[in-house]
Amino acid sequence: MLDAFSRAVVSADAKTAPIGGGELAALRNYVAEGNKRLDAVNAITSNASCIVSDAVTGMICENTGLIQAGGNCYPNRRMAACLRDGEIVLRYISYALLAGDASVLDDRCLNGLKETYIALGVPLQSAGRAVAIMKASSTAHINETNTSGTNPVETRFRKMETVKGDCSALVAEAASYFDRVIGALS
Amino acid sequence: MKSVATTVVTAADAAGRFPSQNDLEAVQGNIQRAAARLEAAEKLAEGLDKVTKEAGDACFSKYPYLKQAGEAGENQTKVDKCYRDIAHYLRLINYCLVVGGTGPLDEWGIAGAREVYRTLRLPTAAYVEALTFTRDRACSPRDMSPQALNEFKSYLDYAINALS
Repeated sequence: MLDAFSRAVVSADAKTAPIGGGELAALRNYVAEGNKRLDAVNAITSNASCIVSDAVTGMICENTGLIQAGGNCYPNRRMAACLRDGEIVLRYISYALLAGDASVLDDRCLNGLKETYIALGVPLQSAGRAVAIMKASSTAHINETNTSGTNPVETRFRKMETVKGDCSALVAEAASYFDRVIGALS
Repeated sequence: MKSVATTVVTAADAAGRFPSQNDLEAVQGNIQRAAARLEAAEKLAEGLDKVTKEAGDACFSKYPYLKQAGEAGENQTKVDKCYRDIAHYLRLINYCLVVGGTGPLDEWGIAGAREVYRTLRLPTAAYVEALTFTRDRACSPRDMSPQALNEFKSYLDYAINALS
């Protein structure tokens, strides 16, 4: 497993060159934006169960066949497995975002995931759709652009109480990890 | 590769939980100290060739017998390899400064070094002398800021202890 720093080290070692100048500038940026990154990880972890349950619910709303007899979220046992997998994927994405590198996500989560799902008969398209909803919801939480949606009296709606700033780079990075999962499943 | 972020993530993954507040604090602590070690890494990368030359010269002036026939530095090719090895250690220290841990030195420098040197009949004392010279020669503010120097010297000491 690598993080942003050890990734730079491994690629410099392949050239047997010391790390200076340009590569250090990228790492200094990681350090300077460090607190934003930690807030972003916190935005995901603190809202994890909300993000996961919302994504699975959304996936089922769009395809109600999933919870009818014979569907892949029927009965409760399989629905529970679905929620558990959503949480696992989100957890590895939070690790990748903390480390600033996708290797932990690739090695420990995505490697063989598609083959496993095919063997178990899990519909890849639905799984990908749930991850896409998690992406929308997580990036909104990081950027604090989440809204109460169509229900004006939604009581479970919550915004993180952090100082507002430019988080576009982090949002793009987090989105890339979700896209990585979707890519691995399709 | 071991670093604060990967250690924290490994522990969280073993427990199957999201990164906790403690984990985030640990990474934050590492980030706060990062400026000094990145400065040290940058200065070391800039002066790597000069530092290597001075360290190698110090080593051969302390142990002139190394250049006698049958010794580790008997011809120019072998002398060049000595300088290359010193540059190798300094490059690994540069990596350690970037990662903020001893992972690169452990994995690519120290693991198996003793066995290799014994097989090739190379004296580790010569490497210790070169690295010790570098440690004592480096000073602040000429080379880098005091905090950066502290980080740099701690990794030099780590390599010296491993070889001596």
